[in-house]
Amino acid sequence: MNKKANKDTFAYRLKKDWIRNRSLYIMVIPVILFYFLFHYRPMYGAVIAFKDYTPALGVASSPWVGFANFTRFFKSVYFARLIKNTILLSVYNLVFGFPAPIILALLLNEVHNKHFKNLTQTVTYLPHFISLIVVTGMLTDFSMTSGLFNDIVAFFGGERSPLLQNPSLYRTIYVASGIWQQVGWGSIIYLSALAGVDQQLYEAASIDGAGKWKQLIHVTLPGIAPTIITMLIMRMGQLMNMGYEKTILLYNPSTYDTADIISSYIYRVGLLEQDWSYSTAVGLFNSLINFGLLLITNKLSKKYSETSLW
Amino acid sequence: MKKRTILLLAAALSALMTGCSGSTNETSETTASETVSAASGEKLQYWCELTTTVSANYSNLGDTPFGKGLQEKTGVEIEFLHPPTGQLKEQFSLILADGNLPDLMEYHWISDYPGGPEKAIKDGVIIPLNDVFDQYCPNITKYLKENPEIDRMIKTDDGHYYVFPFIRGDAKLMNTIGLMVRKDWLDELNMEVPTTMDEWHDVLTAFKNEKGCTAPYSFEYTNGQFLGADPFVAAFETNRSFYLGSDKTIHFGAVEPGFKEYLTMMNQWYMEGLIDPDLATLKNDQVSAKITNGQAGASMGQSGSRMGTWTAAARGTTPEFTLVPAPVPTLEKGKTAEMGHIENPFSGRSSVAITTSCKDIERAAKLMDWAYGEEGHLYYNFGTEGTSYTMVDGYPTYTDEILKNPDGLPVSQAMSAYIRGNYNGPFVQDVRYLEQYYTLEEQSQAPIVWGACNGAAHTVPPITPTADESKEFSTIMNEINTYRDEMILKFIFGTESLENFDTYVKNIENMGLERALEIQNAALARYNAR
Repeated sequence: MNKKANKDTFAYRLKKDWIRNRSLYIMVIPVILFYFLFHYRPMYGAVIAFKDYTPALGVASSPWVGFANFTRFFKSVYFARLIKNTILLSVYNLVFGFPAPIILALLLNEVHNKHFKNLTQTVTYLPHFISLIVVTGMLTDFSMTSGLFNDIVAFFGGERSPLLQNPSLYRTIYVASGIWQQVGWGSIIYLSALAGVDQQLYEAASIDGAGKWKQLIHVTLPGIAPTIITMLIMRMGQLMNMGYEKTILLYNPSTYDTADIISSYIYRVGLLEQDWSYSTAVGLFNSLINFGLLLITNKLSKKYSETSLW
Repeated sequence: MKKRTILLLAAALSALMTGCSGSTNETSETTASETVSAASGEKLQYWCELTTTVSANYSNLGDTPFGKGLQEKTGVEIEFLHPPTGQLKEQFSLILADGNLPDLMEYHWISDYPGGPEKAIKDGVIIPLNDVFDQYCPNITKYLKENPEIDRMIKTDDGHYYVFPFIRGDAKLMNTIGLMVRKDWLDELNMEVPTTMDEWHDVLTAFKNEKGCTAPYSFEYTNGQFLGADPFVAAFETNRSFYLGSDKTIHFGAVEPGFKEYLTMMNQWYMEGLIDPDLATLKNDQVSAKITNGQAGASMGQSGSRMGTWTAAARGTTPEFTLVPAPVPTLEKGKTAEMGHIENPFSGRSSVAITTSCKDIERAAKLMDWAYGEEGHLYYNFGTEGTSYTMVDGYPTYTDEILKNPDGLPVSQAMSAYIRGNYNGPFVQDVRYLEQYYTLEEQSQAPIVWGACNGAAHTVPPITPTADESKEFSTIMNEINTYRDEMILKFIFGTESLENFDTYVKNIENMGLERALEIQNAALARYNAR
């Protein structure tokens, strides 16, 4: 072993870097610990998907059952419906929810009255800070026969009906309320990206005779494209990862048809029926799909736009 | 030096910020193991849920006059441990996974321990109590000898005792849910309290047309407790779930012809605007609002928390507001209802088991057994003589400390400070608590009116499927119940035609209903053989 090779080892470089950036390393330790303790260590628990887990026996000594829990899910009468609902709701969320903050940011970017701009930004941020329980409570109240939404429907001559008991309206309510709540908050990152676009490019474009629309297409959008694509990839990785909270607060048996998704099913079976192994198996299956989607999007993006996560 | 402190501070801050974004599950996990590991040597650890009427004023049962008195009178020092409200089952599983069990655990060992009580014994979580009863528990042994039917209920199929049970000591305590209707409106409209489905139809129609109700009959469909008790289903001599038929076998009501008739009627009422159109999205507070402001004229619920609370709330603006209990309806006038919601004296709820971690079994057993003797019975139901009750001609009468609390506490909260008789726990509940708890004449009538049916004969006793069976059973019923709940609403709303009822029945059968009934009836046979 000569000295030169020694210098290239990981340990050596780490040591050197440690001496140089000691304070940075100390700062990052809690974060690494956090990820290790709360994100990596619990992964061990996922083995119960392949076991018949009882708390009394513990993770290690519960008997192995192979893929029985997965088979049970694939054979369940609700399997097809759960997958369909989860995918549809996710896709709607993506198709309508993803562009919304971009459009808002572009619009705000064109506003030159500072007071109006600030006011609009504040108003659109605010719903982000309302707790989900309150939002769904409001939605439920507004959707009732005597609620606000029905007042509006009745004002335009429509007939009052309980909106949240109608499976065909559920996805609209779910997605639209999501956009309402997150559009302002989501636009922040695009606004900052917009601020980074070189002003000279706009000048050059206008000298070349480009109007506002052409400027948007040829200067602004390419300028923020890397941000959009990074956000899209991150979002794709979360595509199937729909939280159960909003669903269980909004749905009821009469809307299971369109509302019941994988995570709400896990909640009912796993937490309420205490079927830990089964719900872990379903959750693991869900995560695998997510991981696959993330890989595909990243690959596509690398191929077509040279922007990728790794 | 100073620089380092700032750095550490920054690090701590960043950890805090990332910590905040973590999910709540992780935090509850840490608190769970903390409560358990905070064990002190001599005290007995007693794990139980803190009911809301206690937690309104106290954070620990040991802080209440009840908890203090219990330790004084029995001479046993207790450390009470409570799961956060609403997380009973999650906490239970976490404690089990942790393995460091409290000495005593109050839980629903039949329905909430996967596999049931016999499995809990086999898993090494709790100990069988047969020898313990013989050696240390003269009171409960005597009680069980006098009440053989209860004795059978609290045993497993293998003959093991496993808990100090919560027992309702009187039939009046077993039917707490029923129909109620606005009496002042009935009088105004010259109508009687409805007893048949036809009369109900007339009354609700009159409420709609004469009183302008937008939701004549309102209740929250999603409340599982009410669904099982629905008197309108009972009118068609069936049940939404399992019931004991006249042939002494267990049936699943939701696939029977009677259930179709029930759905047909509900659908008709819904179309006529007699049932709350928002049925499936209602919550307790919305129903309360509708009843008290006159949008609804009839509902379902408990005589205490509903009838009493609503009447008190509504009389502020409508002094004549009166709700009266209505009996389980029948199809023919003058008949006594065959079905109706009557619970078992022992449901399995809030019963205390001694865990395998308990070192001083004798002391734990004597503490628990005390509740089933004369002195303990009075203490659990009425509290301390001279403070919370006085004996008037041999009748334990609550004092004004309870009934007109000087600190302005509602009766339910004042009671919960001194007794457990008004909710549950390991003792025999005394009906004399109920007689004094109700402040309205109509409330006292409720158990009598609602109990006037043959429902007790149709309640499935606390049977215990074996561990393997119960797993299979819950897998099957999970799918069936989801489908049933969904379809019932569709039938009622008319989005699914009742012509498809046969398809619905067939689908449920395909999900394995027959096997589920087989498991239930096998468990019933073992129960009867105990």
